Amino acid sequence: MDADYAEIAIIMGIVGAMLSMLGMGLLIAYYGSSKTRNVGFVFLVFGLILAYYLSTTGDSVELHNSLLAFIGGMLGGILGIIAFLVAIIKS
Amino acid sequence: MNLSMNFNDWAFMDFFVSMLIVGIGIALLATGLFTSYFGAGKSQKIGFGLLFSGVAILVIVYALTFDAGLGVTEQFNEKEFKQALASGVAALAGMMVGMFVILFVLMKVDTVDDLEDLDLEDLEDLDLDEELKKLEEELNEGDSDKPADEEEAQEEKE
Repeated sequence: MDADYAEIAIIMGIVGAMLSMLGMGLLIAYYGSSKTRNVGFVFLVFGLILAYYLSTTGDSVELHNSLLAFIGGMLGGILGIIAFLVAIIKS
Repeated sequence: MNLSMNFNDWAFMDFFVSMLIVGIGIALLATGLFTSYFGAGKSQKIGFGLLFSGVAILVIVYALTFDAGLGVTEQFNEKEFKQALASGVAALAGMMVGMFVILFVLMKVDTVDDLEDLDLEDLEDLDLDEELKKLEEELNEGDSDKPADEEEAQEEKE
């Protein structure tokens, strides 16, 4: 993996923004009122545009490894918080 | 973008496992800091334990990745570890930016439905006098439903 850090940062930043847009867009489009629902659909479309952009750019970034790192970090954070909760509840 | 489906290309050890351990360490460090500062008594002791665990995990990961002079064999590739860290931090930053954009747009959009959208026909058809009479009748019925003993006692007094 010989990608520059800057390219990794840009690509993974877009991945993060895409995940936020898709996740929040789904929630707002489903649970939102008549006005916010339209905004939710706009977020969904924006997330899909970001996904399309990701699929057509960043040739040198090995996205699978970057995604592995992101998922691993998130999973580790969740496990750490579970360990904290177990320690507090057991006391 | 190179999203290879050949699992031989996936560096689980250098990217996934290293970041998993770092994630646990950072979570324990943050929760330990919080609990040891705001906690009291037993909770504070647990907080110090979590804080120590977090620091220990991060030191171990550092020793397993970089040449720390401890004589420990390096388990993670230094360069790939840095790239994994950059990936995780960048993705988190991207998520935060996305959430800020969403909140900003939601606050700017008028989310309250207009009063024109309300169905006021039911209110227009409402006859207030009739509703008042119904309420009075219900109240009178409620008064006449007093227990029999009380009514008898009142008759005796009279």
